[in-house]
Amino acid sequence: MPVVENNANAIPEDWEPKIIAFCCHWCTYTGADLAGLNRMNYPANVRVLRIPCSGRMNPQYVIEALNKGCDGVLVCGCHPGDCHYVTGNYYARRRMMIFKRLLEYEGLEPGRFQVKWISGAEAGKFRDTVMKAVEDVRALGPINLTREIPYFELPAMPDDDEEAFNAVPEEVFPEEVNA
Amino acid sequence: MSAQEIIRARAKELLESGEIATFIGWEAGRFTNQTTPLVITDAADAGKLVFNEYCANTLAKYVTDVLARGKVGLVVRGCDSRAIVRLINDKVIKREDVYLVGVGCPGMKDRKTDEPLKKCTECRHNNPLVFDEMAGENAEKAVPEDRFAEVKEVEAMTAAERTRYFESIYAKCIRCYACRDVCPCCTCRECFVDQRRENWVGKQNNVAENRFYGLTRVMHIGDRCIECGECERVCPMDLPLMKLNRKVIQDMNDLFGEFESGLVISAEPSVLTTYELTDREEFM
Amino acid sequence: MLLSKQNLMPLLNSLASDVDVFVPTTIDGVKKFARLADGVEPDFDMINTTMPPKDLLFPQTQKMYHFDVDKNGSYHIHEYDESREQIVFGIRPCDMRSIVCLDEVFLTKGFVDEFYANAREKLLTVSIGCTQAAETCFCTSMGVDPIYAPNADVMLQDTGDAYKVTAQTPKGEAAVSAWSEFLSDGDAEPVNCDVTLKVSMEGVVDKLEGMYDSPIWENLSIKCLNCGTCTYVCPTCHCFDISQENRKKDGVRFRCWDSCMFSEYTAMAGGHNPRPEKLERERNRFMHKLNFFERRYGMSLCVGCGRCVEKCPVALDITRLIDDIGSYEVAPASAE
Repeated sequence: MPVVENNANAIPEDWEPKIIAFCCHWCTYTGADLAGLNRMNYPANVRVLRIPCSGRMNPQYVIEALNKGCDGVLVCGCHPGDCHYVTGNYYARRRMMIFKRLLEYEGLEPGRFQVKWISGAEAGKFRDTVMKAVEDVRALGPINLTREIPYFELPAMPDDDEEAFNAVPEEVFPEEVNA
Repeated sequence: MSAQEIIRARAKELLESGEIATFIGWEAGRFTNQTTPLVITDAADAGKLVFNEYCANTLAKYVTDVLARGKVGLVVRGCDSRAIVRLINDKVIKREDVYLVGVGCPGMKDRKTDEPLKKCTECRHNNPLVFDEMAGENAEKAVPEDRFAEVKEVEAMTAAERTRYFESIYAKCIRCYACRDVCPCCTCRECFVDQRRENWVGKQNNVAENRFYGLTRVMHIGDRCIECGECERVCPMDLPLMKLNRKVIQDMNDLFGEFESGLVISAEPSVLTTYELTDREEFM
Repeated sequence: MLLSKQNLMPLLNSLASDVDVFVPTTIDGVKKFARLADGVEPDFDMINTTMPPKDLLFPQTQKMYHFDVDKNGSYHIHEYDESREQIVFGIRPCDMRSIVCLDEVFLTKGFVDEFYANAREKLLTVSIGCTQAAETCFCTSMGVDPIYAPNADVMLQDTGDAYKVTAQTPKGEAAVSAWSEFLSDGDAEPVNCDVTLKVSMEGVVDKLEGMYDSPIWENLSIKCLNCGTCTYVCPTCHCFDISQENRKKDGVRFRCWDSCMFSEYTAMAGGHNPRPEKLERERNRFMHKLNFFERRYGMSLCVGCGRCVEKCPVALDITRLIDDIGSYEVAPASAE
């Protein structure tokens, strides 16, 4: 079997990268909120998940996200020194440095796992980080790891708001609930 | 007197005097040059103890199993003593819970091939670092020049080759968890793989789930690994697990200063459970 | 009928063009049964594979069914049947015996496991008798003949330059008649195989009845690590766990090997665990191998392949246990 260098040369036509962003509640999540309030445009490929602190970022979340269908993972927290819990992001910094190297050792492209410090006021930096992450992952193509997700694929990325609305899961058994 | 005779005599005395409740060593197995761990509580069994060049198992982890019966005596080589230090530093046991009979280790051999075990050729501390008494003298052993040689071999591959290399490892893993069960750093009361309600790792055996287990294991023991190499030795599929453990150790060496776990008893936190304000900044 | 050794590979290649043929081989350093394909070098001199052939009938992870709910709220269940025609070529008599054990478990006593039954029906077993034994082999002590597997569809016995071919079942006869161009008439005496490791099973089963509280288990289990190696390399261990993966309205149910060595194996919903320590787990494993299965199905669940003896990280040895049980004197009180 020939060694496939990466998937960059074989990107399916309607493929859109799927990126999950783990954001610290006190800084980056607020920063993302500010970006929204300021009507900043950034790609909808990123799904933001709130975590209490970047120190809470469990390396397992990253592996699970990659295993379960994400093409890239972004971890964002307060600037070192600004942590709401005083030291959380110092711990995160050490762990993420080690973990990023470990993932790259296992063959993951550096662009697929990124860590950034973004404060609550840095809406622009949040937008730029997301845009850069999406562009990086888009250039890399679908992830080059064996992911065994039996019979599941995440629904296709909606292009406009109406479809995004429709993509929200319906109630299971609506009839039965009514009856 | 040979080390084996001293161990037998001391085990007998210690058990008879009541200073210890159990003694852990090795006994001969059924096959030529085979040894297996032995836990004795009766001084009359001390004659079963052996010490030779084929004592492959480390003994420290058994201390946690038999501690309830009272103070534990055990034979320690370099790796066993570091494992004991690890257990003490992790507050699993106390120093006064164990009585350590040190023995110089010339490196152990594989009973079938008579070649030195891989873990022993890579060992940098073959003589006990903590002990209450020594049975015989320290032993001489060649120390490897570069403990990260095998990591560098892997790093020299391209990213795609590394992906394939590690995926072939995860494809072979049968998830028997022997690497976890033998590890003196794996001392969680309940391992994440047993937490079925949280369902951290799925029960399916496939590359993705095995990678999840493998990477989590490395991250969990990363800054505490004593490099005894037992995980690699016990693996029924002969997976090169130390290539993962040593990668983390190498990075910690580069980033946070020279690192070797389990050398001294201390209350200092380990590398990934602490921080410095001056740590390198890569994520700005 | 004889099959000369030169004709072996041509026969295998011709078989492999129609169905999946599994042969003992070393892939990536792991000895196991693998599908014959380019780059797979069969090794019929290998005494025993590390991984047993049970996964041909009972895969480590097996999809059972896939379910979803459509927009109208109705269920759909899609069953899987991934069984297909397979030949396992070169299975050893001890492993053949393990298939008898698995057949008993999955096909008798009023319940038929469909997944196993489908795979079993489509499997043709071609056993090759051993010519040499590993130091850990003790099959003769467990009632297995190393050069003859009575339940194999086709039995091949090494006679030096050729294999003596015996079709033993209708399926085997049909197969052998299709191989005629590779076979020649003749008869020869099979080479004997000398198994040196011997243990005495005499009285062990009955003795175990009174040994539930024996100190033997304590002494045995103290060195156990509680890893699952012995159960996963065992050709007869057959415990499984059914689990599922869900996403939104889709889900897939699968079953996968489980091991009685894990604490989670007996963990109950309320948090109680009837086998909390390795003492209880070890006792259960060996009791099941040597006593419970014997009582229920009239045969030992240990076939003497020696895999667990070989692979156990702490050299915990079932043959020594059998010896210990043999020499153990049941206390009069518990003998009753």
